[in-house]
Amino acid sequence: MIKIRLKCFSQVKYALGTNEIIFELEDETFTDDLEKLVRKKAEGKLDNVTLSTAVNKKYISKNIELVDGDEVAFIPPVQGG
Amino acid sequence: MIITPEKLKKWLDNDKNFTLLDTRPKDQIKQSPIKELKCIIGNPNSIDQIKGDKVLVCQFGIVTEGMILENELQNSFSLLGGVQAWNEFIKDKNDLSRWSRQTILREIGIDGQKKIMKARVAIVGMGGLGCPAATSLVAAGVGTLNIIDGDTVDLSNLHRQHLYQPVDIGRDKVNVAKRSLENISSQTKIIAFDNFLNQSNAKSCFENIDIIIDATDNIVSRQIIDKVSKDENIPMVYGSIYRFEGQVGVFNTNNKIGYSELFPDSISGGKTCEEAGAVGMLPSIIGNMQALEAIKLIVNLEPNLIGKLLIYDSLQHKTEVIEL
Repeated sequence: MIKIRLKCFSQVKYALGTNEIIFELEDETFTDDLEKLVRKKAEGKLDNVTLSTAVNKKYISKNIELVDGDEVAFIPPVQGG
Repeated sequence: MIITPEKLKKWLDNDKNFTLLDTRPKDQIKQSPIKELKCIIGNPNSIDQIKGDKVLVCQFGIVTEGMILENELQNSFSLLGGVQAWNEFIKDKNDLSRWSRQTILREIGIDGQKKIMKARVAIVGMGGLGCPAATSLVAAGVGTLNIIDGDTVDLSNLHRQHLYQPVDIGRDKVNVAKRSLENISSQTKIIAFDNFLNQSNAKSCFENIDIIIDATDNIVSRQIIDKVSKDENIPMVYGSIYRFEGQVGVFNTNNKIGYSELFPDSISGGKTCEEAGAVGMLPSIIGNMQALEAIKLIVNLEPNLIGKLLIYDSLQHKTEVIEL
């Protein structure tokens, strides 16, 4: 098992109702798997929202395997101005 | 009281009767002599014994302002910007004393101020982000500012868009903003584009521009800015808000990624301010962060947000910086 800290921003924060969640996940969990889990947890509130991924405060453009202690953020584009 | 280098020169040219006192330590006077000005080396403790008007000089104009206030000196003027501003005025006949509080900073200095005054910045969107960004850049002395927006002023804008007043409701934003900004400083050339940005007018809006500030409220405009930014090699200073949270970043600079790489398939960017709501202070903070990043780009100052996305949570006052 691995422990992952999810940091929530913008729409993700409002959809999940929290700033942060600790996930206990199976080994060999990838970022895409966690994103699916987050979308499911959001119960449709993130269905039309594109999410960019950051692992350990670094933007990731590929689907990568998570390791114990990683900090993940799914960042939505925001458009207010 | 203060006196600018320009006004002091007029006093000298008109043979006005006053005493000039250099209050600096002797080694500083030797290191940085004042040009074309004969000063008495003043003892700060005996200044109030000198009769008539006095102009007090120090290196940057800060010490003498404090001296006058603390000692309640009468008929005393502090030379704004001090020796730094005076020497520059003598050299180029250019009075930069208005910006003395930022030229004191060694990261900016006189050379940085001259770069700022030559810089050409475009702001797309004169709403919650654009108003504070424009205000700060004009106050900072930016040379040219293109402001682009096809919208008119609405009552609901006024709590966060401080360039507009109730009397401006229904008027074109860019024309009202141009007038308000010109009242802040006539130094900046303001060029108003009374249209929304689109693919066909983008190039003309950004002609000869050094930096584009993205202060729009929709993803399509951001994508257009991103494309021109990439094609024309112009840094894009991105800013955006959602409820109590804001994002700022500098894209397409130093081979770092742009908006379309960060958000490749932006189906939805969440609600706009009209739909989601916005507390007036947040766009002022984010718009000012964008203006600050523009100034850093102009004077080549690090660290900055090139290749980074800063997320600011205004409820908890926490920031997160993501490397792109």
